[in-house]
Amino acid sequence: MNRLAATVLTYLAALVVGLFAVFPLVWMVLTSLKPTADIITPEPVWWPSEFQWHRYGRVLRAGFTTYLRNSLLVAVGTTGFGLLVAVFAGYALARFRLPLRRYLVLVVLATQMFPTAVLLIPLFIVMRNLGLLGSLWGLVIAYLAFITPLMIWILRGFFLSIPDDLEDAAMVDGCTRFGAMRRIILPLAGPGVAAVSIFAWIAAWNEFLFALTFIRSDSLRTLPVGLTQFAGRDATDHGAIMAASVLFTLPVVIFFLFVHKKLTTGLVAGAVKG
Amino acid sequence: MPRSRARSVSGDVPSVSARRPRSVRRSFDDKLLPVLLVTPALVVIAGLVGYPVLRTGWLSLTDADGLRALTDGEMAFIGLGNYLRILEDPVLRRVSLVTVGFGLACVAATMVVGVAVALLLNRRFRGRGVLAVLVLLPWAIPNVAASFVWKWIFHDQYGILNWALGLDGFAWFNHWLTAFAVIGVVVVWQSFPFVAVALLAGLQTIPGEVIDAARVDGAGGWQQLWRIRLPMLKPLLLVLVVISTIWDFKVFDQVYVLTEGDPTRRNEVLAVSIWREAIAQLHIGLGSALAMVLFLILILFTIGYVWLAREQA
Repeated sequence: MNRLAATVLTYLAALVVGLFAVFPLVWMVLTSLKPTADIITPEPVWWPSEFQWHRYGRVLRAGFTTYLRNSLLVAVGTTGFGLLVAVFAGYALARFRLPLRRYLVLVVLATQMFPTAVLLIPLFIVMRNLGLLGSLWGLVIAYLAFITPLMIWILRGFFLSIPDDLEDAAMVDGCTRFGAMRRIILPLAGPGVAAVSIFAWIAAWNEFLFALTFIRSDSLRTLPVGLTQFAGRDATDHGAIMAASVLFTLPVVIFFLFVHKKLTTGLVAGAVKG
Repeated sequence: MPRSRARSVSGDVPSVSARRPRSVRRSFDDKLLPVLLVTPALVVIAGLVGYPVLRTGWLSLTDADGLRALTDGEMAFIGLGNYLRILEDPVLRRVSLVTVGFGLACVAATMVVGVAVALLLNRRFRGRGVLAVLVLLPWAIPNVAASFVWKWIFHDQYGILNWALGLDGFAWFNHWLTAFAVIGVVVVWQSFPFVAVALLAGLQTIPGEVIDAARVDGAGGWQQLWRIRLPMLKPLLLVLVVISTIWDFKVFDQVYVLTEGDPTRRNEVLAVSIWREAIAQLHIGLGSALAMVLFLILILFTIGYVWLAREQA
């Protein structure tokens, strides 16, 4: 009897947790596909009486193809440059007795602790004076500021988990340190590198504060700011706002499902190992 | 810059190993290579994090205000004037307190939900694997998109929540407390998955024998949780509390989207005030001081947590 109650409670709890996690997403997709009469009603309509795909076309024509392109450019740029810097630094910090190694955790924690707003004001001034406020480069540079330290931290954790006997063996066989890193360690750390890339990609894709501050012209807007502007103009068109949100969310969710395991273990392992 | 450096090093590999004696290569590998590898990162961190932080600290001590300060650097040193103003200004003082209260509430709620979900996922039941992935989804949703969905769910006339609760036309965003409750729901919704998954990984490292032994000694479910599981996970819990604090005290996107253009400023948190003062109104000095205040609050709380954890151990 007691056992049965526990089982029932477990499934009940699982149902509640599952609904809490997923319902808003389902509701977002359903709302975006409903006819307006099904949306503007105090009594909810659970399943669309008819599927309305046209909203997606309308949202895309209202500037979202441009926003998508800009977001993609910024995310790819940030990921690329971030990786270039973080792979080398992460490797060096995992393998060499560098004097500043102890401070790494402090620096990373501190960069997370600075409210992005602390970086915002001086970077805003610098970008303004360099004339980068009207350019996606300004965003890429700003994003590197808070994404690279975390990438270094996570990558270092991945490199540490690879035994250094492998490099030693390669170096005995005549490889240089750099050759060993490139031919042996990087391929082994491949999954970690992929996870970190997607982490950087998602962070850049989602970022709102800098994008809101640095970009003033509509043709350079990224998705999150484009979405708020759109919602500001058509505040009552709930279906279209949801359709735009789906377009913004979908790529992240797909990417995320591929790498979630690596990301969480990487973050936590790095945090605990220090 | 980093790329060309890397290329030239790897391009030289065969010739170097062929011509130069082994010891030269060794000393390059041991001495120069690590420096070359970390230099780009140091440049990024010093230039994009170190410099801005110092600059914000300096700006917070000046009366920098308006476009002239931006273009000509027209500003004067005024010491702690901006900080005194934050203490005296009723709106800014309130915002600072509200940020701490709201942040702590979010951290507490996130930890409770996170622990509960982790314990649930640690049980055996059908569909556990699927649930473990579904639960992660809110974490992946962009803040702005999540805010719009919840805004729609909490809509006063057509929102599904008011229908479910039988609250006909209740306007959540008209009162600052209920508005903060909504923002809190969104923040917790987005941050509990990380806590839950990290704790689940921790729970699974606790050997089964420990729990079995406790059970044999007659410990109930609650006692197992409070006396064994949570104490064993204390280092992890500490890290998660620190990470959550850092996230939840800095919330900007959700507040901006959910209560945009609130003229009463009763729904502001520090991150929003910083943006409003420094960027929207170009009160750069005051905005910088607010940024430093938020930074100091985060440092104080992090040190406080670590100290508490040490004290108990």
